[in-house]
Amino acid sequence: MTHPRPSRLDRRTVLQYAGLAGIVGLAGCTTEQAGGDDEADADAPAEDTGPDVYRIGMVNSLTGSLADFGTYNERGVALALEDVNAAGIDGVPLEIIVEDSESLPDAGVSAAQKLVNQDQVPLIIGAVGSGVSTSIYESVIRGTDVVQLSQNSTSASLTEYPGLLRMSPPGGPQVQALADLMAEDGIGSVAVAWVNNDFGQSQRDGFVDAWDGEVAYDSPHDQEQSSYASVVAEMANSGAEAWVFLTYQEQTAAMLDDAYSNAYEAAFYGSDSAKGPSVLEGTPSGALEGMKTIEPSAAIDQANYQDFASRFESAYGEAPTSWSSFAYDCVITAALSIATADGFTGAALGETVRDVTRTPGETVTTFSAAMDVLGDEGDASSIDYDGVSGPIDFDENGDPVGSFQVFEVVDDAYVSRGTRTV
Amino acid sequence: MAVLEYLANGLVFSSIIVLASIGLSLIYSIARFANFAHGDTMTVGAYGAFVGFALIGDLGPSVLGLPVGFYLAVAVGATVAAVVAVLTQRLVYDALEIGAIGLLITSIGVAFVYRAVVILAFGTGNLRYAVPSQRPIPALVPVGVRVTTQEVAIVAVALMLVIGLHLLLRYTLLGRMMRATADNADLAQVTGIRTARITRWTWVIGAGLAGVGGVFLGLYNQVEPRMGFNILLVVFAAVILGGIGSVYGAMLGGFLIGMIDQLTPLLGDVGIPIGTEYSYAIAFVIMVVVLLVRPRGIAGGDPG
Amino acid sequence: MSTRARHAFASASETERWVLALLGVVALLLIIGLLAGGIGPAYLLYLLGLSGMYILLSIGLNVQWGYAGLINFSVAAFFGLGAYGTAMLTASNTPLGLSLSPLVGLVVGIALAAVVAVLIAVPTLRLRADYLAIASLGLAEVIRIVIQNQRGLTNGNAGLRGLPLFYAEWPRLGGVVDRLPTVLIHEVTLGPVTLLGLRLGRSVWVGTLNLLVVVGLIAAVYLVVRRLHRSPWGRLLRTIRSDEDLARALGKRTYRRKMEAFVLGSVIMAIAGVYYAHLNLFVTPQNLAPINTFYVWVAVILGGAGSNRGAVFGGFMIIAIREGTRFLGDLLPQTSGVGIAFIDATYATVAANFAATRLLAVGLLIILVIRLRPEGLLPPESELIWPPAREGADE
Repeated sequence: MTHPRPSRLDRRTVLQYAGLAGIVGLAGCTTEQAGGDDEADADAPAEDTGPDVYRIGMVNSLTGSLADFGTYNERGVALALEDVNAAGIDGVPLEIIVEDSESLPDAGVSAAQKLVNQDQVPLIIGAVGSGVSTSIYESVIRGTDVVQLSQNSTSASLTEYPGLLRMSPPGGPQVQALADLMAEDGIGSVAVAWVNNDFGQSQRDGFVDAWDGEVAYDSPHDQEQSSYASVVAEMANSGAEAWVFLTYQEQTAAMLDDAYSNAYEAAFYGSDSAKGPSVLEGTPSGALEGMKTIEPSAAIDQANYQDFASRFESAYGEAPTSWSSFAYDCVITAALSIATADGFTGAALGETVRDVTRTPGETVTTFSAAMDVLGDEGDASSIDYDGVSGPIDFDENGDPVGSFQVFEVVDDAYVSRGTRTV
Repeated sequence: MAVLEYLANGLVFSSIIVLASIGLSLIYSIARFANFAHGDTMTVGAYGAFVGFALIGDLGPSVLGLPVGFYLAVAVGATVAAVVAVLTQRLVYDALEIGAIGLLITSIGVAFVYRAVVILAFGTGNLRYAVPSQRPIPALVPVGVRVTTQEVAIVAVALMLVIGLHLLLRYTLLGRMMRATADNADLAQVTGIRTARITRWTWVIGAGLAGVGGVFLGLYNQVEPRMGFNILLVVFAAVILGGIGSVYGAMLGGFLIGMIDQLTPLLGDVGIPIGTEYSYAIAFVIMVVVLLVRPRGIAGGDPG
Repeated sequence: MSTRARHAFASASETERWVLALLGVVALLLIIGLLAGGIGPAYLLYLLGLSGMYILLSIGLNVQWGYAGLINFSVAAFFGLGAYGTAMLTASNTPLGLSLSPLVGLVVGIALAAVVAVLIAVPTLRLRADYLAIASLGLAEVIRIVIQNQRGLTNGNAGLRGLPLFYAEWPRLGGVVDRLPTVLIHEVTLGPVTLLGLRLGRSVWVGTLNLLVVVGLIAAVYLVVRRLHRSPWGRLLRTIRSDEDLARALGKRTYRRKMEAFVLGSVIMAIAGVYYAHLNLFVTPQNLAPINTFYVWVAVILGGAGSNRGAVFGGFMIIAIREGTRFLGDLLPQTSGVGIAFIDATYATVAANFAATRLLAVGLLIILVIRLRPEGLLPPESELIWPPAREGADE
């Protein structure tokens, strides 16, 4: 049964020589790059010719439990691209490659892998959901020069990553402001309903730390529960004077609707995610009367926001949510960063992305105004872009500045009750 | 007293689960596989009723807080769910000669298809039925029970359907033939029962009940594409608890699971630190414990 | 070609040859894509690493389903236990405050999975198949809910991050990814075609080493499983799968054997979880979502239950489906151009909501595969024949 060996040896030998030849050949065409362990991005074109389109990436929640935010983002992005590409970035159009995170960390990481390693973008806007954003940062971005700017993440954990920027202010100061407001309103005991994910957990932690009074109820609920009746019943039976909703609009609407159907009475408060058209539409008239929410102060008095809001309304038939504003500002900030950077690479963009949003620099509120100010000579410190979502002004942790606005529901509409800071 | 409130909530939620569990159990007894698309069948029913109600409008007087038009829409939803299920059965399941597990996997694929079509047609947002929201029935509030008439309607309709099914299975020819086919399909065929037709009818009834359950879930909570999938596991737990293949077991299991889910706050009230975030976990653990003691489930049929 | 290889090729069935040919073509396309700059090397390595993870999961599920006929829907839970087992010991923000080596994490992950597997198996293994399916799914959800809510152990929804690479503390390999230089392969223009022009930086070295780790794990697991498959134990399991009553009538302790298969499969899944934790460097409770269990099932069904080669193929397939459909969205034209309003509108919706369409495509694919080739693409054929018998026949 034994065969003579030579045939096997031949094949192996041939393979060995082939391999050797390959390596030698490859060695001839390769060079080492100085500063070896830096990961720069591939194919940065030479400065004089420049690319004919600037491509950045975006990880958005097109499907999954956060798909609604994905839609808000898409709208903000669409308006922003209109503004940027009206004249382009020095004539060069901006293009965004969008991938779906499915609202899950795994798929988000996959999406980011594709954008960073396949499409080789130097900047990604991503993602929706603090858990997804941090996963992407940890698995894909960390150790590279790619700039990551999250459009919708409010968990405190992002502050621990200076390299992960975000447009939505961290939830911490916001819930602190909320706790202060409630204390001023004379509330002694509170029931805290928080959504069981990174976002909700972070808001709850911040609130409970900031709250000096009694916490009569403190329980998470799932984002997609089949029934919130037991949550609401428990809150009602806890005897709390006020209910705080640290959750999304759909859950808030479902719970308040249930509270109405059960004739439960309490003072209602919420963070910015618990405010919006879905809450008003999803609850009967008068059910929310007096509910107060706090949100990052959108620049509602500014012309740029009003312009944005009216364009948004005529395009989509409803007022913009803060999420759309954040997405809009992400694109504008990215565009300004590209305009002032020395090259279309992650390292270069990383140098400018913060500075375009903060002082020193002339305050500008639209993309075209910014481009005018920059002219041919300006750099990142020539401008201070104040967006439709607020002054931005990234700090060293990549968090924007937050000042907050209080809203109260009066006759089934949100009425501003002024601003406050922490 | 809080307990009465929880019980009332439990009753309403159980009604929904019972409708879904019966449907699942019926389909299991005839088609012999666990239909993972059952939850999404509920979703189809809910959206069908949404369209139906949009077309029909709120005609007629209000019965228990819901216009007659809404009840018609419920029927529309049930019909849509039944039609979709029968089509799926003819196009997909019928032709397959593989075992129960292959069918189970296929039904997962079918579930994805239902869900994707719903998202493509309606988007991902939450919808509501355009019926007025209500306050609880004033007479009951002092007693500590807070239910609206719409919730009473849910329980009443579920009860009527359950009783109707019982009468159907027990006293009609169709019911007898269904039971015979479920017990032993070959034998039934030998005695002249047209099992293919009976199978079709069982799918219609099973999916129709699921559709009604879906509409009521949408009424009680909200209508969104993942509503059925989210409740599916709990429905399975109910069916297993009651015993796969037994319709009465499914009713009991659905009732118990719905109650357990809504009574979880009691644990906190008596000092056991298990919050409502564990309510599904509790339901499953109880299911497993019951299975340990009684592997067939409470009213389980022949495991063979 | 050696005798063995020639034998294997000759006795390969029609399907196997087709599959091999297909894989060969795909591999060739990938290499061309790589050389032509169409596919980023780090991305390709990442996808291969993920495929490896799915392959491990499929092999594990195959031991339970393919060998022993156990329908286990708790794959994601064991995967998660492996991932969390190692993450709780090695993550930078672990509430346990430990910082041990990933190898210790591997051992702990395996141990945790084995213990929980026994706990799950005891109430469920005596049940009939469908009950086992649902019960295992329910218990998997219990595990996920516990991990999500026990913040003191697992950090809850915030997840565990800052995980080290698997080989981070190994004597020589440990720091090598940081020490290796970034290699630039210059572009080579051959006529109209531009090739190469690749930058191989840290992410490529990390990807390569991770790939080697998973290949090593797969090889080890594959050999062990194949050995077991051919042993009397394996034979007994196959008997149990096809006719448990017969096995019991023969006096075999079927419950014990099934339990062993269940635990072995779960341990393999946990190994996949450990690998994933050190590949992704971040774990969250969402890694234990039931949808992940379904993906592994799809992989096993596509590949062919009961067959390890099928499991390998299935692992590649599932990644191809999940990630490949991402690219399809870019390839579809914007409008259907047909002119009939209804069709145009439908096409527009489908093309615009590509993510939902992808869900639809996966669902249809599952249905089609089961419909057209229910035994999967590489069902166990020659694997079922006792090797000495087969060798004897060829003489």
